[in-house]
Amino acid sequence: MSKLALTLTINGERHEILTEPHRTLLDVLRTDLGLTGTKENCLEAECGVCTVLLDGAAVNACILLAAQCQGRSVLTIEGLARDGELHPLQRAFIDHGAVQCGYCIPGMILSAQAYLDEHPSPTEDDVRAALAGNLCRCTGYQKIAEAVLAVARDRAAGR
Amino acid sequence: MATSEPRVVGKSLPRMDGAGKVTGTAVYAADFALPGMLVGKVFRSTEPHARIVRLDTARARALPGVRAVMTAADVPDVRYGGALKDETVFARGRVRYVGQPVAAVAATTREAAEAALAAIEVVYAPLPAVLDLDAALAPGAPLIHEEWASYTAIPILHRDGNVCNRARIVVGDVERGFEEADRIFEHRFRTGMVHQGYTEPRAAVAAWDSSGQVTVWSNTQLPFEVQNTLAEILQMAPSKIRVVVPGIGGGFGGKLRVGVEHFAAFLARATGRPVKVITTSEEELTAAYPRQGTVVELKTGVTKDGRITAKAGRIWFDTGAFAGSGPGVASVATLVLAGPYKIPNLHLEGFAVYTNKTNCGSFRAPSGPQANFAVESQIDIIADALGLDPLELRLKNIVREGDEGPTGQVLNAVGLEECLRKAAAAIAWNDRRPARWRGKGLACGWWTTTGGSSGVYVKINPDGTVALNTGAAEIGTAALTGAAQVLAEELGVDLADINVVSADTFSTPFDFGAQGSRTAFAVGNACRAAVDDLKRRVFALAAAQLGVEPEACRLADKHVLADGKRISLADLARLSQQTGGGLIAQGTFIAPPTAYDSKRVDGHVYPAFHSPSFHAHAVDLSIDPETGDVTIHKYVVAQDVGFAMNPTYIEGQIEGGVAQGLGQALSEEIVYENGRVLNPNLTDYKMPTTLDMPRVETILVQHPSLVGPYGAKGVGEPPNIEPPAAVANAVASATALRLTSLPITAEHIALALRDAGT
Repeated sequence: MSKLALTLTINGERHEILTEPHRTLLDVLRTDLGLTGTKENCLEAECGVCTVLLDGAAVNACILLAAQCQGRSVLTIEGLARDGELHPLQRAFIDHGAVQCGYCIPGMILSAQAYLDEHPSPTEDDVRAALAGNLCRCTGYQKIAEAVLAVARDRAAGR
Repeated sequence: MATSEPRVVGKSLPRMDGAGKVTGTAVYAADFALPGMLVGKVFRSTEPHARIVRLDTARARALPGVRAVMTAADVPDVRYGGALKDETVFARGRVRYVGQPVAAVAATTREAAEAALAAIEVVYAPLPAVLDLDAALAPGAPLIHEEWASYTAIPILHRDGNVCNRARIVVGDVERGFEEADRIFEHRFRTGMVHQGYTEPRAAVAAWDSSGQVTVWSNTQLPFEVQNTLAEILQMAPSKIRVVVPGIGGGFGGKLRVGVEHFAAFLARATGRPVKVITTSEEELTAAYPRQGTVVELKTGVTKDGRITAKAGRIWFDTGAFAGSGPGVASVATLVLAGPYKIPNLHLEGFAVYTNKTNCGSFRAPSGPQANFAVESQIDIIADALGLDPLELRLKNIVREGDEGPTGQVLNAVGLEECLRKAAAAIAWNDRRPARWRGKGLACGWWTTTGGSSGVYVKINPDGTVALNTGAAEIGTAALTGAAQVLAEELGVDLADINVVSADTFSTPFDFGAQGSRTAFAVGNACRAAVDDLKRRVFALAAAQLGVEPEACRLADKHVLADGKRISLADLARLSQQTGGGLIAQGTFIAPPTAYDSKRVDGHVYPAFHSPSFHAHAVDLSIDPETGDVTIHKYVVAQDVGFAMNPTYIEGQIEGGVAQGLGQALSEEIVYENGRVLNPNLTDYKMPTTLDMPRVETILVQHPSLVGPYGAKGVGEPPNIEPPAAVANAVASATALRLTSLPITAEHIALALRDAGT
């Protein structure tokens, strides 16, 4: 099969990628680039563990072809912390006890990040609606919602 | 135990592995990779029951990128399993469920492996399939295993044809008990098959070295059990098999037994390359270890004033084509059928029954939700019939301090009445039907803290940090954070000073595994024992340095203190490295056996609940009479946890357990039709999302257990038990309709309302 030469910006860094046209962004991230913070599960966009940000919008990397990301910018969980400091969402998830097994958490945090960027003062119902595409089997979502709301409040207060 | 106010235990400290999990750097088994690794895939049966007439892998072997194709002909002819050894690696001549492994392939890419699966040729001659419990138990039913009597099993089991165990509890004289009753109630309940729903699929990577040793990186909850099972399957010494658990994305009992590790090991040996096998959602929902569907029949006798005089109950588990956890689960179920009630006459039986379905296993509180759904639904039915408040009927019959459990164990630290009263108060039980189509429900129960042994090594490093080396895996509950809190408390150090190494069968001490709500309990106690051992070494060393008696020494603030003098643990560790190989200790723990009356049980592999926990759930919900849709306004859990080691993560266990329980109550079922799963994907297998989950109010009740560290009891499984019963009781309260089958979907409610003409 002939390969495509793609240029993607991943976590702020330019990557030249040579890959078959049928391969997904998830597969390229995990297998070619070793970025396993983006998780793999249902592979049909039902569970949300593979959520990444594509030009700032939350997408399921499992059903997105790498070729669709040509020239675009991808943020994975590995790119969220800056200068060795946890991102406020990452900090809040730890502080609120929102992490158990943790497998859904990278996708959950990125969905929350995309949502908060657009909606600075959400209610708990808003947050729950925004995260409805990310399944978590450990937490019952309560502490996840609390963590996201706490970050929203801090942002609103300019902290 | 520390005499002063606790510094570390009982505190809501952040989990130790949080940073790796939120940054994506934590490596799970599904993430694990080695250079040159191949992709392994499993070829599975498409027939519920059939003879394999022809199996041809030649075309698959010839495809580009394919490195191995294996069938039953390529592996030892071994039957393995837990209490009953009936399972084979691949089907041999006959398939017994849709999804049963028939062959496996290894190839250079996922695409090549999938092409190989498509190129395997198989011809089946269908056999009569046994598709449900009634068919399996019917006189003259086809045997799923004609050779069942020849299988190896623990001698306790009572087996007969399609019944792979019958467990029984008999207390008093149940017929006389029914004669003493004023009313007798008989009901039948049904529950569906449900999946654990962990977000990380089962995954394993296997690699062999030149000495003939294999290492398997797996997300199993039980690395030592998997090591031993692999030894049976591979016909090798366990000492040549290393199982390492990198990280687990949820288990809930679904990752106890060998799942894909054996395929990875065989394929890696055949190809001389590392092989990774990871399951798809379809494989998970057709060929994993889900919770058994059940049928329950209960006959309960009560006096007019609501005293239970006798209970006869039977529960049948549809355990699938192989026994899996069935024989044990059928045993545990009888203790749940008794309920947390004082009943003088009992005749309770649990049956594990073969059918042509996937092999069922263990799911968080195995048997708990199914049996409790029946018991607690019936309590409400009885209360309604007698004109009693369901809370009052429960309070009239529940066990209290010093009472006997069903098999004669003496119960202590019984916080049940407190749980019931607090849950009822929190849900405003005095107003049970606040509006039309709105109602409240209550359910209570008891559960075990599974025993088994745990060992730890503890090392004090020359910088004063402490290494905790345990064979238990961290499956997400933060149980190892809890155990480390015990260690930090007892050693006089901070939680941040402790580093955990875990779950490697070659380098960590034995542990019975992350199952049965036992990890923080048992590893925590092993840590206490290790500190006792360490104290002897540390105090001897310190006494010599400080010129004091060892008896005068104590640990505090990362130092040994004695007679106004002090020396740091770091200094002592450095000193010990120069003089005696460093400060290392071991600690072991095994839960003491719980005494019970062996004359009351038969065919029973789990005759008593160790350090039992008690709990009550309450729910307030509304029904949409048009659609049957359920809206939960409030959910309350009051759970006797003995001692809350880390309240935040205990709340997390309760909130998550309720979520899984509500899934089983309202939306989840693996639906079979003619032996095939109709919904083998996450679109149609409906687990609760953020929008389905109510807020859960947690009330921690603390009646300290005699055995657990600081009085802790097992916490993880119980919150999964009561939600179906609590919901069913609330739905009955809201609609005056009693639904006796799980899940109680909106569709079922709407149809029941229509049938009732309301």
